[in-house]
Amino acid sequence: MSTVLDIQHLSVAYNRKGLALEDVSLQVPQGGIVALLGANGAGKSTLIRAVTGLLALHHGQITGGQVHMLGQLVSGLPAHRLVRLGMGQVPEGRLVFKQLSVEDNLLVGAAVLPRAQVKDGLDAVYHLFPRLLERRTQAAGWMSGGEQQMLALGRAMIAKPKLLLVDELSLGLAPLIVADIYKQLRVIGETLGTAMLVVEQNAKLALSFAQSAYLLQQGRVVLSGSAAMVAASPEMKASYLGEARQAGKASA
Amino acid sequence: MNKTSKPSLSAGAWLWLLLCAAVLAYLPTLLTERAFLGMPLSNTQLLNLGLSQINLMLISMLGALSLNYLTGCAGLISIGHAAFFATGAMAAAVFDTQLGWPFPLVLLAAALAGALAGTLAGLPSLRVRGLYFVLSTLAVHYVVTYVFLEYQFKYFDVVGIPYATPRLGDWELNTPVRWYALLLPLVVLVYWGLKASLKSREGRAMLAMRDHELAATSVGVDVRILRLKAFALSSAIASVAGALFAYYLSNVTSEAFNILFAIQFIAMIIIGGMGSLSGSLVGAAIWLLLPSIIGGLSPQSSESNEFLGKLLVEHRAQLVQLIFSILVIVFLIFAPGGVAGLATSLKNAWQAWRAKP
Amino acid sequence: MFEQVFFSGLALGSIYGLVALGFAVIFKATDVFNFAQGMFVVCGAYFAVTAISILQLPFPLAILFIIGAAALLGVLIHMVLIQPLSGRPMLSVIMLTIALSIALRAFIEIVFGPQGRSLATPMPTGVLMLGEVRISYLHLTAALVSWVCMAGFGLFFRFTSVGLLMRACADNHEAVVVSGVNVNTMNRLAWGIGSTLAAVGGVFLGQLQIASTELEGIGLLALPAVVIGGMQSIPGAIIGGLLVGIIEQMAATYISPKSSDIVIYVLLLLILMVRPWGLFGQRELGRV
Repeated sequence: MSTVLDIQHLSVAYNRKGLALEDVSLQVPQGGIVALLGANGAGKSTLIRAVTGLLALHHGQITGGQVHMLGQLVSGLPAHRLVRLGMGQVPEGRLVFKQLSVEDNLLVGAAVLPRAQVKDGLDAVYHLFPRLLERRTQAAGWMSGGEQQMLALGRAMIAKPKLLLVDELSLGLAPLIVADIYKQLRVIGETLGTAMLVVEQNAKLALSFAQSAYLLQQGRVVLSGSAAMVAASPEMKASYLGEARQAGKASA
Repeated sequence: MNKTSKPSLSAGAWLWLLLCAAVLAYLPTLLTERAFLGMPLSNTQLLNLGLSQINLMLISMLGALSLNYLTGCAGLISIGHAAFFATGAMAAAVFDTQLGWPFPLVLLAAALAGALAGTLAGLPSLRVRGLYFVLSTLAVHYVVTYVFLEYQFKYFDVVGIPYATPRLGDWELNTPVRWYALLLPLVVLVYWGLKASLKSREGRAMLAMRDHELAATSVGVDVRILRLKAFALSSAIASVAGALFAYYLSNVTSEAFNILFAIQFIAMIIIGGMGSLSGSLVGAAIWLLLPSIIGGLSPQSSESNEFLGKLLVEHRAQLVQLIFSILVIVFLIFAPGGVAGLATSLKNAWQAWRAKP
Repeated sequence: MFEQVFFSGLALGSIYGLVALGFAVIFKATDVFNFAQGMFVVCGAYFAVTAISILQLPFPLAILFIIGAAALLGVLIHMVLIQPLSGRPMLSVIMLTIALSIALRAFIEIVFGPQGRSLATPMPTGVLMLGEVRISYLHLTAALVSWVCMAGFGLFFRFTSVGLLMRACADNHEAVVVSGVNVNTMNRLAWGIGSTLAAVGGVFLGQLQIASTELEGIGLLALPAVVIGGMQSIPGAIIGGLLVGIIEQMAATYISPKSSDIVIYVLLLLILMVRPWGLFGQRELGRV
């Protein structure tokens, strides 16, 4: 299968808030890095929740369309099944186990692996993120935001996912740290060939990292294409009003 | 602030109200003479009910209303409601049995004692919330019933505390009909009173507090005082009900106010629908009808099926509890709005069906 | 005399600790305050009655029966009653467990009759003399087994991979879902463990006294124990149980037998007013 993630005409509604996504289609090719862009409330988190099986937790449901991963129908499957099928999640807000040590955090992620592979999995993650090795016995709650993000990433990677979903990586982190983590993500993509769907508010950052991008506006895809094309498009500039204003001021 | 004008009742509502009044007025005659307009009715047709059970139901309606006001409307979950009944019974014991005060004054004393006890019981709400607060109400229950127990053993004996027949002047409350004449207006009064209170400015603040405390505080509602007031009012009503309960049974022990007693009221408001005052009345009615229906079934079935008969007769109390608790569970899982919620859904469905072209 | 009271308090407290531990496991995993824990204790006693007196099983088999039945009870209750109510307001869940306890109580009284039944376990009788102090072998066995169970659970919780997953569940529910763990399975495990621990306590209490639904009141003392120790803390629950046992015995001896429960509840009120997160719990931030 050349498409790792195939979303077809997906529509999602929340119990009391109405339609949040309408007729969204999106593809992540093998080894591809796709950015999902859009302003607050555009529906990015909703899309991620729909793909990762966490919609019910937030009182939402799929009202139309389908999601396929590696050719298999996954829309409607519970989250823990999806992880076992090869979907790795790095959720918004990092969600580390604050009272558990770094190593224990990783071991939770490794629970889906057969016993024999756990040690190798741990070593691989420590190789990717030496900082985590330094802090392996410390409680995750005491680490800095950047370290927690690495931990969340490591926890998702330890199960060797075929598709990695990253939701709002940069929120609350200093730019240097964010750049560092994206560098690591690129390494992961190149060495392991993991396909990625990255939700990112910082459009510039996302577009410099991804190969292709989709722009969401009020629950619909208004633009899609290669990263360069999307970056140069007028919709992009319109969606982020600040940029348009600044450009206007500069030329005035 | 503009007061929305109260919509006048439709003709249908007036008819319904008159019908209810007629039924309620005729009820004592129906149950005492066991005949409808001269036609005699069997026990089973009367659902095995007697006026004394109706009276007990009326007293428990006071309890259900007061608890629903506290929990359903003010949002304060309390599982220690029996404690306030005990307070009222104790006040009645002190002021009537021991001091010989007149009946109306005793009820007033019971109300005040209840209000005081309620305010004290509500104090933990200033410090803790949610689950911790529920536990504090449990602890309050045990403490108050212990005090009642000690009081009973100190001034009376293990048989229980006796209560004289109450009297209003020369008129003695010594028949079920007379009790009915006292209790029914009282229940109606409390019901309308609480309903009116919920429509008042403070009442609506309380509902706001229940639904979203943070939001209510942000518009200037002093939630702490409001909580204590709700507790005081609810406990005062429960206390009066407790005093009446004691008078009605003419003898109570501390066993009467055990935790099961408190739980029954919670069950009533859940089945009736939390937050719905009329629902509480329904819940209390179901609590009344259930044992009667089961009692009514026993003579026939013990002839047809020995096992069932044994079940219904020997283990009647347990069977009632079993069915009642299963009913509560079923309501909690499938109809969380209680009977009131179901009624509203039905009404909406009916109106939607009528609105179809 | 004081040592006597202290030791019997410690023995009884060990049983309370076990029941409180079961309670804490359920609470930490599923956020449910299980008011039916007292009835789980009673169920344990009656499972023993069924296995030993009715089915006449040899004791080792009886133990397996009791543990199996208790675990099954916990799992079924979670599947049928608790899971449908996830996400519902607290009163609904509390009332559900209360209604459950009433239903269980009524059911047991219908099946076994309201009178208690004596348990005929082959547990050691007789008394051990430690200086001036008399300790019954039964108390000793109860305490020992309780401690073994609690330690066993502690080891399981701390050192096994399943125990790690349970700790993770209690730490952050959403994160555990994201990591590929089947939360429902974890919750059922928690309920199975919680009810089994209570049932073991019930077997001992039933042997020490009599198997009857009155044991529920004793089982319910696990609630204040957990609060006093700290609701979010597993070791807190155990220590809370020990404290409750000791205080209860002291109150019964030095004040009056009737007052022993009240002293516990007054203490509960004090803790709630002064230090609601218990002796070993942590302050919860901004929960409205």
